[in-house]
Amino acid sequence: MIVLAMDSSTSACSAALWAEGKVLARRLSPMARGQSEALMPMVAEVMAEAGLSFADVGLLAVTVGPGAFTGLRIGLAAARGLALAGGLKLAGVATPAAVALGVPEGERQGRNVLVAIDSRRDELWLQLFDSALKPLSPIRALRPEQAGELAAGPVVVAGDAAALVLPHLPHAAASAAPGHPDAALVAELAAEQWSRGESLPPEPLYLRDADVTLPGKTVSEKTVSEKTGP
Amino acid sequence: MLVLGIESSCDETAAAVVNDRREILGEVVLSQLDEHRPFGGVVPEIAARSHLAHLDRLVAEAMRRAGLGFADLDGVAATGGPGLIGGVIVGVMTGKAIALASGKPFLAVNHLEGHALTPRLTHDIGFPYLLLLASGGHCQLLAVEGVGRYTRLGTTIDDAAGEAFDKVAKMAGLGYPGGPAVEKAAAGGDPARFALPRPMKGKPGCDFSFSGLKNAARLLIESLPQPLAEQDQADVARAFQDAVADSMADRVRRGAREMKSRWPAARHLVVAGGVAANAALRQVLLRIGNETGLEFLAPPLKLCTDNAAMIAWAGIERLRLGQSDDLSFAPRPRWPLDPNARKGAPNTWKGAKA
Repeated sequence: MIVLAMDSSTSACSAALWAEGKVLARRLSPMARGQSEALMPMVAEVMAEAGLSFADVGLLAVTVGPGAFTGLRIGLAAARGLALAGGLKLAGVATPAAVALGVPEGERQGRNVLVAIDSRRDELWLQLFDSALKPLSPIRALRPEQAGELAAGPVVVAGDAAALVLPHLPHAAASAAPGHPDAALVAELAAEQWSRGESLPPEPLYLRDADVTLPGKTVSEKTVSEKTGP
Repeated sequence: MLVLGIESSCDETAAAVVNDRREILGEVVLSQLDEHRPFGGVVPEIAARSHLAHLDRLVAEAMRRAGLGFADLDGVAATGGPGLIGGVIVGVMTGKAIALASGKPFLAVNHLEGHALTPRLTHDIGFPYLLLLASGGHCQLLAVEGVGRYTRLGTTIDDAAGEAFDKVAKMAGLGYPGGPAVEKAAAGGDPARFALPRPMKGKPGCDFSFSGLKNAARLLIESLPQPLAEQDQADVARAFQDAVADSMADRVRRGAREMKSRWPAARHLVVAGGVAANAALRQVLLRIGNETGLEFLAPPLKLCTDNAAMIAWAGIERLRLGQSDDLSFAPRPRWPLDPNARKGAPNTWKGAKA
């Protein structure tokens, strides 16, 4: 099965075509902003490089967060538009799981993997995986100094907020993996989850309500429940 | 020629399919009014989330109503700005994706150009013509000379007209959105009880201003027993609406004269934007049209407020001229129609809004 995957959920933008363990074409650029400009040309380029048309794509995959709200919407709007017009099956992939897959096997041996994603607030998005990348916790919103509650033992830390939690974890090591997802790995993960019937719906995991100021009071930050993460 | 249009720049999510024979083949609009009502205005993050949640389904529904497949299209147009950027991004990405997947050209349409070209969709009029665009986000007079050719004759130096209606309605306890609420209350109001200032009246040029009037209305409201009695609400609404209409009459009259002198071929005065729903204002514009020799045209209300048919139509107009946009188009929160509009109002430190 040929998988087309996209990511714009954190501080990078990528698109990749993948089939049966092989990356057919890939574009990736770290960027804090500008994904709305970069993403579709990347998709067009990987399609052209692989010499494929959308009719050849068996599964479309996109990261659904948590991450930057605007970035999530860029990827999801693009994915839903492609799925609609191309008649494609569409699968969501959680951003922390995609980041975890980027941690090399050598770094994971005998250690859990902690993924820390920047939430642009005091609390970060944290999720713990075992060395085989099986989730050990839901996605939680915690302040950096609370990371020890989740990852007390030996752990390798990845994600764009890794540097914020490392000082609070005495038994932690920094992963050499990039802090952002890579669409090629998103594709791999999506294919695996799809075959097991475990794909996420193509809907954003904001995990936090919109910040809204009502006259006289502030309504926000209502959710952040441990149950909201997959 | 068939174009799909997508609109998501404020609080309406919309999709429409239009052809070059000026027929709207399929159209769906979803208003987010109820989601924003508790806050008395549009909340950008709520708007952006709602656009994403609904847009793909609305596009599918517009296509279904048109009885067409994506392969039948000649282009995909989406509002590229100006507007609330979170929503614009959702529409632009959806439009780019549909264009890429179906192998059609993508068109990033200036939302204001959508409004400006609407009378050619509804009434098939020729260039040039004078356009009053008055909505919750804009208030400007434009000489529409051709596709992509606009001269801004005047604009608000502070608030948009619709914004002033919203704020005064809120202060007077009349609810949201303010335009219809003020108009309804004003119908039972005494025009002689209160006098409010007529901003800019008699001043050279044809810029608008509503901030001072809004403040005068606030002071008037604060001087009355709280909460306002129904008759007080009605009288304030009437005084405010009369002041807006009178100020606009003066500004549009000047704009119409300037139009006739600089573009003698102009035949029409057209209104667009949600404020066009106000019957008192339409009466004023009709009168000024008669006075200045311009025929007054108002597209049907659903095409005056934000909609996707106007975006599809602007896409057709541009496609007919061989124009389209790259998939790397960057959504634009600010996008003046007239790039030469003088630096001044309504510029903020970020530059001209629109």
